[in-house]
Amino acid sequence: MQNEQEFSKAEKFWMNFKLYQLWRFIVLNVKIYTIAVQSKWH
Amino acid sequence: MAKVLVIGAGFAGHTAALYLGDTLGKSHEITVISNRDVFGYVPSWVWVGVGHMKPEQTVFKLKPVYDRMNVKFVHAAAKEIHPDAGDQYVVGEEVGTGKEIRLDYDYLVIAPGPLLNFAGTPGLGPEGGFTHSICSLPHAMKARDAYLAQCERMKKGEKVKIVIGTGHPAATCQGAAFEYIINVHKDLLKKGLRDKADILWLSNEPALGDFGVNGVQVKRNGIVQKSEEFIKAVFNDHGIRYQVQTGVTKVEEGKIHWQNYEGEEGTTDFDFSMLIPQFKGQPFKYIGKDGSDISAKLVNPAGFVLVDGKYGLPYPELTQTPEAWPAQYNNPTYQNVFSAGIAFAPPGPISKPFTNKNNLAIAPAPPRTGMVSGVIGRVVAMNIADLITTGKMTHSERMTEMVAACIASMGDSLWDGNAVTIVMRPVVPDRKKYKNEYGRDLFISHLEMGVSGAWMKFMLHYTFIWKFKALLGWKLIPE
Repeated sequence: MQNEQEFSKAEKFWMNFKLYQLWRFIVLNVKIYTIAVQSKWH
Repeated sequence: MAKVLVIGAGFAGHTAALYLGDTLGKSHEITVISNRDVFGYVPSWVWVGVGHMKPEQTVFKLKPVYDRMNVKFVHAAAKEIHPDAGDQYVVGEEVGTGKEIRLDYDYLVIAPGPLLNFAGTPGLGPEGGFTHSICSLPHAMKARDAYLAQCERMKKGEKVKIVIGTGHPAATCQGAAFEYIINVHKDLLKKGLRDKADILWLSNEPALGDFGVNGVQVKRNGIVQKSEEFIKAVFNDHGIRYQVQTGVTKVEEGKIHWQNYEGEEGTTDFDFSMLIPQFKGQPFKYIGKDGSDISAKLVNPAGFVLVDGKYGLPYPELTQTPEAWPAQYNNPTYQNVFSAGIAFAPPGPISKPFTNKNNLAIAPAPPRTGMVSGVIGRVVAMNIADLITTGKMTHSERMTEMVAACIASMGDSLWDGNAVTIVMRPVVPDRKKYKNEYGRDLFISHLEMGVSGAWMKFMLHYTFIWKFKALLGWKLIPE
């Protein structure tokens, strides 16, 4: 964030840039699945 | 053959039932008693509440699932629990006939979900009150109808005041209210009506973005980013006004009465309001062998089931004692009685509680819905399976160890929708293990907004309904 109150133009661009978001979708899925599976066998 | 009885078929109870059926169903008797014969996928009710999802897309019948999983289903409301050794049973009232039934058990899981305590705030709620709720499917449908009626007013050029947040000084589930306020904002934008609505976030959180879990903190590019700054930016970006540190005390037609941290009393006008009520434990009767009331051995004054946590610690001590949070979720007196989901009594709040000069405690209760409910349901089921097969429990997971992921929907469109993806480890800060002021793993914890979150939220809807229907590979999908 550019300051504590608002998102910068660049942040808003990346939030809506579909190719980057597809990458984030994959990364987040892998991250969440990995840590959730670790929990499952606790 | 052991008899395991599960009260409730929500995230916690249903998860427990599936694991119990899977591990023990063929050789032992697993029974679920629930006053609802459908499973409701609660996270999607925010979409029902703005008219973006049909109610029937969020529910499915339980009995066919339980038939496949070797679980017996009883459509009845549990009323009494008789836990004394020798004669342990639950008394229920069959839905439809009103017939009294008796179900014996060797192991009991109490997971009926919360009692929505609208009575805790005069004038709150859709039944006899003036506000709405998305905490049950009928409530979400009622909220949708009332919201759409306001949209019709806005289409005629009228200005409308919308207030969304928490309706009690000790309410929880701020995350659901947050999703709803953003979905309302997005829906109004799409309808071209946003300029006709003044939207206010009114909540009991100590700070914006607290969510009842003391906020979320993540490390990005070496800098710690807090959910407070993040949510502030979201609200500023969306033109949503906010008022935190506020406990709603009463609601009248078109007027919300509140008190804040400073002890000031005030009112806020509204045309449409969705406020989450306080949650309490279900009012079961706990009866001893001699017919006496033994509630004090099983539940706290709010009706939540006492489990293996350390209760009564003052907040500063609790924050330094991660082992105070329960690990195996069984009652210390009646060790074959377990509790999961919102029904178990947490040892205290996660967020810093506050009492104002008028002696009003404004303190969000710990959220224990969604992933937390599912994980506890599984832990409880696996421990019961352990006890029956080996006599010793091997599973445990405290909320101070548990990871939780939450996708807060901010519009359901796959093209221009949005969502905040939140990952926390642990849910309850553990300042002994994580040596930072937040008590969290700042590498794993995550806070991100983007259209990918909207895709994930959409994917989770179908993935979890698949899991809860116990279809092929359901166990591979984590809670």
